[in-house]
Amino acid sequence: MVAIVQQEQPLSATPRGTAGKVSHFNDPNIGSKLMAMGVLPGSQVRVVRKSPFGGGCYVKVDNFFLALRKEEADSIVLK
Amino acid sequence: MQDTRPTTKTFTMALLGNPNCGKSSVFNQLTGLRQKVGNFPGVTVDKKIGQTLLPNQSTVTLVDFPGTYSFYPTSIDERIVVQSLCNPEDPNYPDGILYIADITKLEKHLLLLTQLRDLGIPIILALNMSDMAQKEGLEVDTKKLSRQLHVKVVKISGRTGEGIDSLKEEIGRMIGQRDAYIAPQPLFKMTEVERDAAEAAKEIVPDANTYQGLLIAHHYDWLPFLSEAQRKLLADVAKQSGFESLRAQVDETMQRFDKFTPIVRSAIRTQSEGGESTTTEKLDNILTHRVFGPLIFFALMLLVFQAIFAWATYPMDIIEGFFGYTGEWIKSNLPEGWATDLLTDGIIAGLGGILVFIPQIAILFLLISLLEEVGYMARAAYMFDNVMRSFGLNGRSIVALVSGGACAIPAIMSTRTIGNWKERLITILVTPFISCSARIPVYIVLIGFVVPPKTVGGIFGLQGLAFMGLYLLGIIAALFSAWVFKLILKTHERSFLMLELPEYRMPVLRNVGLTVWEKVRSFVVEAGQIILVISIILWFLASYGPSADMEQARTEALATAEAQNLSEMETKNLIASRRIEASYAGHLGKAIEPVIEPLGYDWKIGIALVTSFAAREVFVGTMATIYSIGSEQDEYSVRDRMAVERNPITGEKVYTPATALSLLLFYVFAMQCMSTLAIVKRETKSWKWPIVQFVFMTALAYVAAWGAYAWLS
Repeated sequence: MVAIVQQEQPLSATPRGTAGKVSHFNDPNIGSKLMAMGVLPGSQVRVVRKSPFGGGCYVKVDNFFLALRKEEADSIVLK
Repeated sequence: MQDTRPTTKTFTMALLGNPNCGKSSVFNQLTGLRQKVGNFPGVTVDKKIGQTLLPNQSTVTLVDFPGTYSFYPTSIDERIVVQSLCNPEDPNYPDGILYIADITKLEKHLLLLTQLRDLGIPIILALNMSDMAQKEGLEVDTKKLSRQLHVKVVKISGRTGEGIDSLKEEIGRMIGQRDAYIAPQPLFKMTEVERDAAEAAKEIVPDANTYQGLLIAHHYDWLPFLSEAQRKLLADVAKQSGFESLRAQVDETMQRFDKFTPIVRSAIRTQSEGGESTTTEKLDNILTHRVFGPLIFFALMLLVFQAIFAWATYPMDIIEGFFGYTGEWIKSNLPEGWATDLLTDGIIAGLGGILVFIPQIAILFLLISLLEEVGYMARAAYMFDNVMRSFGLNGRSIVALVSGGACAIPAIMSTRTIGNWKERLITILVTPFISCSARIPVYIVLIGFVVPPKTVGGIFGLQGLAFMGLYLLGIIAALFSAWVFKLILKTHERSFLMLELPEYRMPVLRNVGLTVWEKVRSFVVEAGQIILVISIILWFLASYGPSADMEQARTEALATAEAQNLSEMETKNLIASRRIEASYAGHLGKAIEPVIEPLGYDWKIGIALVTSFAAREVFVGTMATIYSIGSEQDEYSVRDRMAVERNPITGEKVYTPATALSLLLFYVFAMQCMSTLAIVKRETKSWKWPIVQFVFMTALAYVAAWGAYAWLS
């Protein structure tokens, strides 16, 4: 069920169930906001599902849930 | 309601916390009905202020700040927090801080606490949702946490009220000895570069501490209390010392997490391992499913819509009946004259026109805040974000657009949950295009002139289809104009979704009740004043005119009545009809006749357009008066009378399909509702946007009506 992703693939393009630990963020602006919300390098992230009309996804980060737009999800690089 | 204005300077506490920390439950627990809504200077962010009574009988003022994740803001809401807290001379600078953190998510909720703690303001940490922690088998060693963070800690539950009394006692102790509640050392250690930038900024703002200086150095480009010269100075300092804001933000956040995470881990004991599917995840498998999710949303909205229609009718009828009856009673018991008329047709009718919206507002907010409390609204925003965004709107706009089908007023009030100002403004501007319930009487009167009562395909009534078409037109107009505004309006604010989806919880009815109360109150008090003034003006226009004209109208009507041997009722109706023709509204109708003639309207329709600015459904009543049908009006008798109306010069029917279609289109698009304009003024805190809205909606209505008339006639 848990697929290991190579970081070249943006998070929004990975299949449901993809999980891993956050390595870093490739957009510093989005990254700093995500960090303030508790998504840190080392946090466990899992793609729970994709948005009904595309473009975003629903992720679980450690013990909470986040809805992210495509570019927000894609700024997260997993280890 | 008690007066909540501070008479002398009371101790003021800022209530702060992350979004979804349960802050408003705690605020409601502490203040109850002793709260009012103001706004932060210069912005449209609401400021809730309340008073709480401590066990020692002293009162404390609580200011509820918007939910914030950190001192590095991305929305106007969050900026308020920074600008109020980094400048000790700010009018909202608090004497103390009450910080609310969700005990079940302590690690992510403590970032802002550690930042606040470094400001040098006395602070109390309240661990909220102690009831949930108990259920999850989570234990927190508050003594240890308090010792290591150097912050006093209280465990509470905003939901059950547990611990609220000890929190009040703690606040009382804090007022007595403020210094004991200030952390001795800042948690965050600045680099040399940061310290230089902070010291330079600190010089500018009197009494600021070094961390406040650092915040000013980060945010100098937008902080409103700085002058241009000071901005320039800080930009130079940053350049010389090599201070890079974004990089420093990330480093500060990391350093803080590195310091407090071990503290939290050592103070928390948890039994559940996490990782297993929670109830929330199971529910979301269905509720946010790619296919079922949106379907369930529309089904829910249909229910909300139905509830507004079904439940609001009875109280609305009672309110209307009451004001109608009171007006009649006063008329028959007070001497005739302008004062009685002003009281009955101006003030009482105006008040009725305001209060009649209360059932719709109350029901919509009852249901919406229930969905919000449960945690569902965040899911709706997530599901529709992408679709809405292509029109310059936000996921949360879907709720306003759907509710607009009942009434634009509560719908516009519901846009406050949209954080991004541009997206919220566009939602406010386009929501009145959605056909509301007040348009229905107008549609019913007019649709028969355009579409014959035929059935097509065996089941579909042609008139019903036309009805649906009008609704669709409204939706298309809303989305299209949203898209146009998206291109026109500029913003520097970046738009984010990054929305936390809270766990599904049982709603706290107290919060729901207070939300409904607050919405109804702010509508009646704030929009109500404007509506009352406009309805008195409209009453004046429709009942007064140049005195010679009015007198002549009366004598002529009496003469005609006598000649035709009319009954008393018929005579009264005839006088009313002639008087409205001679009134200022009649003159206005005649004056705008050249403008509305290309649309196929005569001056009588002109009068109805003027008076129905009060509310669209007034169109039917005005038509009844003009055609002297009297107060015994219903949509069908008005329609029958209109059907035989002919142009006195050409002898042709006035209400041809062309005219009726043109009128229908006019009512689909035009901003014929002063209450909506009043609420837009209230929500945008300026007359600019209601005027813009009125102009573009009327322009679109005019063009559409003109096109339809030109095409059909």
